[in-house]
Amino acid sequence: METAQNVVWDGIVRGYAPPDVLDIDPSLTLQTAEAAEVDPITYEVIRNSLQNINLEHGSTIQKLSISPITMIVRDFQCAILTEVGDVMFLGPYLLYLGNTLGLTTKWILENRSASPGIEDGDVFLSTDPYVGSSHQQDTGLTSPVFWGSELFCWVSNSVHYSDIGGPVPGSFCLMSQDIWQDPPCFPPMKLAEGGKVRADMEDLFLRQSRLRDTVGMDLHAALAGLSVARGRILKLIERYGAETVKAVMKRTLDAGERAFQEKLDMIPDGRWSERVYTEASVPGDPGIYVSQINITKEGDTLYIDNEGSSPQVGSINNTYAGLVGATLAPLTIMLAYDLGGVSGGVSRRVKFRPVPGTITCCDYPGAVSAAGVFNMPMVVATATGAVAKMVACADPPLREKAIAMADAQAYGGWIFSGLNQYGQFFVGMSAGMAAGAIPASPGRDGVDTGGLFWVPGMEAANVEENELAWPVLTLYRRENSAGAAGAGMYRSGVGAEEAWVLHGTDHLDSQIYMNESFVKNQGLLGGNPGGRAFHRLKQQTDAAAQLAAGTVPQGLDQVSGDEVPLFYKGMPAVLDPTSMWTTNLPNFAGYGDPLDRDIAAIQIDLTDGKLSTKDALKVYGAVVNEAGQVDVDRTAEQRAMCRRERLAAATVGVSHA
Amino acid sequence: MGYYIGVDGGGTFTDAAAMDDEGRLFYAKAATTRDDFAMGMFDALAALAEECGVEVSELIASTNRFSLGTTVGTNLLVERLGARTGLLATAGHGDSILMMRGSGRTAGLEPELFFHPQITDKPEPLVPRFLIREIDERMDCLGQEVAPLNVEQVERAVRSLVEEHQVEAIAIAFLWSFKNPAHEQQALEIVRRVAPDVYASCSHQVSPRMGEYERTVATVINSYVAPASAAYFRRAADKLHDSGLDHPLLIMQVSGGVLPAAKAVEVPLTALGSGPVGGLIGSLAMSRQLGHANVIATDMGGTSFEVGLIINGEPLVADENVVDQRRYKLLQLQTTSIACGGGSLARIDPHSGSIRVGPESAGAQPGPVCYRRGGTEPTVTDADVVLGLLSSESFLGGRMPLDRDAAVRAIAALGDQVGLGVEETAAGILRINNARAAELIRQQTVVRGYDPRDFMVYAYGGAGPLHAFAYAHELGVKGVVIPLGNGASTLSAYGCSTSNLVLNFEREELFFAPFELDRLNRALGELEEEARAAMFDMRAGGDEVEIDRFCLMRYRGQWLHNLVMRIPRGHLGTEDIAGVVDDFRSSYDTLYGHGAGVVSQGVELFSIRVRAIVRLRRPTQAMEQQFGKPVADQARLGSRDIFWPDRMERLESRLFDGSRLHYGNRIKGPAVVELPYTSIAVGMDQVLECDAFGNFALNFEHTPGASPVVGTQSSTLTTG
Repeated sequence: METAQNVVWDGIVRGYAPPDVLDIDPSLTLQTAEAAEVDPITYEVIRNSLQNINLEHGSTIQKLSISPITMIVRDFQCAILTEVGDVMFLGPYLLYLGNTLGLTTKWILENRSASPGIEDGDVFLSTDPYVGSSHQQDTGLTSPVFWGSELFCWVSNSVHYSDIGGPVPGSFCLMSQDIWQDPPCFPPMKLAEGGKVRADMEDLFLRQSRLRDTVGMDLHAALAGLSVARGRILKLIERYGAETVKAVMKRTLDAGERAFQEKLDMIPDGRWSERVYTEASVPGDPGIYVSQINITKEGDTLYIDNEGSSPQVGSINNTYAGLVGATLAPLTIMLAYDLGGVSGGVSRRVKFRPVPGTITCCDYPGAVSAAGVFNMPMVVATATGAVAKMVACADPPLREKAIAMADAQAYGGWIFSGLNQYGQFFVGMSAGMAAGAIPASPGRDGVDTGGLFWVPGMEAANVEENELAWPVLTLYRRENSAGAAGAGMYRSGVGAEEAWVLHGTDHLDSQIYMNESFVKNQGLLGGNPGGRAFHRLKQQTDAAAQLAAGTVPQGLDQVSGDEVPLFYKGMPAVLDPTSMWTTNLPNFAGYGDPLDRDIAAIQIDLTDGKLSTKDALKVYGAVVNEAGQVDVDRTAEQRAMCRRERLAAATVGVSHA
Repeated sequence: MGYYIGVDGGGTFTDAAAMDDEGRLFYAKAATTRDDFAMGMFDALAALAEECGVEVSELIASTNRFSLGTTVGTNLLVERLGARTGLLATAGHGDSILMMRGSGRTAGLEPELFFHPQITDKPEPLVPRFLIREIDERMDCLGQEVAPLNVEQVERAVRSLVEEHQVEAIAIAFLWSFKNPAHEQQALEIVRRVAPDVYASCSHQVSPRMGEYERTVATVINSYVAPASAAYFRRAADKLHDSGLDHPLLIMQVSGGVLPAAKAVEVPLTALGSGPVGGLIGSLAMSRQLGHANVIATDMGGTSFEVGLIINGEPLVADENVVDQRRYKLLQLQTTSIACGGGSLARIDPHSGSIRVGPESAGAQPGPVCYRRGGTEPTVTDADVVLGLLSSESFLGGRMPLDRDAAVRAIAALGDQVGLGVEETAAGILRINNARAAELIRQQTVVRGYDPRDFMVYAYGGAGPLHAFAYAHELGVKGVVIPLGNGASTLSAYGCSTSNLVLNFEREELFFAPFELDRLNRALGELEEEARAAMFDMRAGGDEVEIDRFCLMRYRGQWLHNLVMRIPRGHLGTEDIAGVVDDFRSSYDTLYGHGAGVVSQGVELFSIRVRAIVRLRRPTQAMEQQFGKPVADQARLGSRDIFWPDRMERLESRLFDGSRLHYGNRIKGPAVVELPYTSIAVGMDQVLECDAFGNFALNFEHTPGASPVVGTQSSTLTTG
């Protein structure tokens, strides 16, 4: 296998990995001078302002965009970066996009500073995953902020645009074998110059889209976010001086690094790995592939590699940018939870040793447009598993910050298209399952439908919002029960399930749906794995007749008809007025042996109807009497028996190394 | 002599304000009695009667109007003391209120907590799962029936909730009921028939807005607080009636108006959180007298800092609220709050070696170190004491001596850790606290496209007048008013007493441009009729009803964004509506930069609102006739050394007794004016002037070069 040493990480043949010192054209002057002293009070006032500027950038995008995926699911990110593209503040949005902004900005500094040049009022647009996005739809905008003739810092955002072209509505091209079957890939180009949007570049981007107006509104929302952030940073510099503000930026990164370092000091040296298997590189492929992340902790540094991942194949790849982003997301939540989104200091202590040519770090021309729903959540889950094992080995109280694996399935993603009830073409990305769940930790249960930790501000759309936009009726949306999936000494929060029929149209195409063949979220230190994501479809049902007769069907098994076998990464499915279909976002992973679960906690789930008597016995060894109460003595006996049976059945493992 | 009385029952104090027939104002305060709010109210009335120089029975008997603001609903909610409530939901959607759209874990929390899943959780549900009943029925997005209501199921559900589970209240929230309320109405009739004593409310009445989660929350909270709120309103009304009040008790609403108690009990949600609104309405009344069109109303108390806005003489309206991590939609005057007040804790951030102030607070218990109640961590109030802005002897009129030495020790210990002296540290704490307050104001103004330099700041509440000299100056506003001067700490009560009857009616109905004018005119006409009829029912009607009409507009598909646009009166023609669309597009560009909107993107109008107002008569506020000399010797208390955080130096500063200041008095800074429940700091280059209404105006002499931190959108991108 090739090693990292003999390849060029240039963003062209291989993902861009920036050198420690960037090669920037001398015609561009960077503002680097820092005030030697900033008193602690001024420091805090400026730091607070910078953080709020970034939040305002994010809320501007959220308010003005019109795609549900952006405004509700928060599938975007924004950041303030130093003059050399180090990410300073992230917002509480899709975390793995944070570092992609840094990579894109650094690439621009190295590759665009000579031609066409980087000037005040410029905005660069990039959709190139080899430069630094997770997939083409996550289009980045980055804009230099000048003070006088010097480049002071950057403001940047990445937004998921609903359709940016390519062969498939929504631009997730499951059938792609290479990048030429994907939507177009634009390396950084000047969308705006001297504060003015270039009509030619804007058209070049929008012309590719099936949803020109929607994408146009979202693009303007992203531009407005940059304007707000840029304007406020200039006011801050006007007031306090460039050198003082710069000193605060650097000190904030230093402080973030120190805080991260303190956490690392509580972790023993070692190597932790997680491996997630996935199926099908393109629809119809029976293959099984491996995503693997390994973390080596040596002293004050973490080394991340993806050794063990399968060679790149079909459409299930992500670039280096995806690998870095997906790894930093769980690191931020488990080891930088107290930094309010300061990520740049963390990156300094994390070094990557990527293995190229793999599905978790592919080379050009690997296809990547489907990464947003397949690879990215899978690699986040893989990295979460590795980080959680490492953190669970730390000294208390850090140990309790470990979070078990979540959501290898892109929150039950379902992408569909057709004509809506108003006769207009649309591409829908269902956000119903964005209600998510927080997995278990070594110290507490997760949170039922508590959101996704790696998209902290995310929320599910209301059923009514979906039904207004799309020609569907949601028959139910309800929480899963807390059975075996995600059980443990501390259990995962439960996920949810949704079911639909068509309403107001007679035809839709399901482009993407999640129907896994096996569970992907392994349990943490003895906890049960999560559940399996599934998407079920029945045709020729009597759902419409039941509705008209006054019954709202509450399960696929309650309607007649024929179930259509669906596959993970299956071919598009056609929906008609007799169809009824469901999506299930499974419970995530549990922590610790379910036999160690506190009886009072089991009782609460029983009383709440979340746990059946049968599962209480089978999963937790808890014996429930006729009054619905856990019998403490009989449970102790039952648990002792379970342990004896386990020992009796145990065999010595064989290493395949 | 007749009186116009407002009472505001807050968490700590119950405030009372009265105006007599001659327009003279009186104020009083009493401790709030948590177990029986009426006691605190009568204590405050007794104190108020003393101020007015009459017996309390005489005061009440000669009162022409009595308005009451209360936190009783909020307390029920936060302390989980509301009614046992059941929920009827559409089949398949009973979990909506439990799932909270996945954001219930973080809704309304500080953004920093978003990164820390282990310390966030959902709140306990108000309606536990076993009290939720799903009912077979279904409407679609056009309000057309997809599945009929199963009435037997409703009856069974209601019987089970009432007989087996003894619920005291029921909430009915079905999908799309705001488009077609028929099923909710039918279900309500069944509840009324089966369980006539159980309070019930429907989502189409409480919050007729799209979004089943938020609508269900509104309805559940409403039912949850209703029985106890209604009992409280009735008890207060009865007691006042027994004491001789000859008029209906009026209850303060978040709409900024009041409603008779008999009407307010119908939907008690509209009274929930009306406390901060009282202060805003008080500011509004005062701003109209003073001719201030644009006002930033700021209320800094012990734990929170609340900001409301008055733009062109109208308070800004919001339609979303988060209480206890539960989000709902309800028309209300916009007030935004952050944890930033006298009790905010100052702590060291060990990694950067800097000081952070808030959001954690010492609250009332243990409170600041100087309160001697066991607090050990320094707070903003401790910094005030160390600097000399607050006197350790005359706090609360001398009734609560403060421990300055303890405050000095706590702040010195904090400063030691970052190498700052005690005064530098205390000054730093105030600078950070003021910067946070200014940041909130900035977010509320600049983000909406307003320039703070066009505004006056009104500062009230326990800590507002003391800190306004800095946070207001930071923003570069025109000046500061401490409304009612000595009455600034009872401004909410005053606001209640000045409120009018207000009813809001709202209907969510989607219109794409170009709008169907007939349908729009018809919808507006129906809503107006509804509003007039409701006013008539309250025996307040006829020609006096003022009707204002608004609509919510957005670019097509922008679910999370809207602008409220005023609709002209009367029958709308093509040109009228074209004008409204033009106003929308230009407001949008003003807010978000020229070219932010895409011209080709259609505009939609998705909700119409009608506000009915009946203005309640009250005397004109009396003015002090005698313009006194500028020198305020009569109020002079001496001098004190104060370390001014904006100057970073200790200066001999003059002290005054606010209650002895008169119209025309001018006080040049550095000075502190002591009031019974707060103090006003007058910085260097600032002048405090007393006007004829008893307001104190703090004017700045803006120093050139000290450019304010904010500005308008000077660097937006343009298209084409």
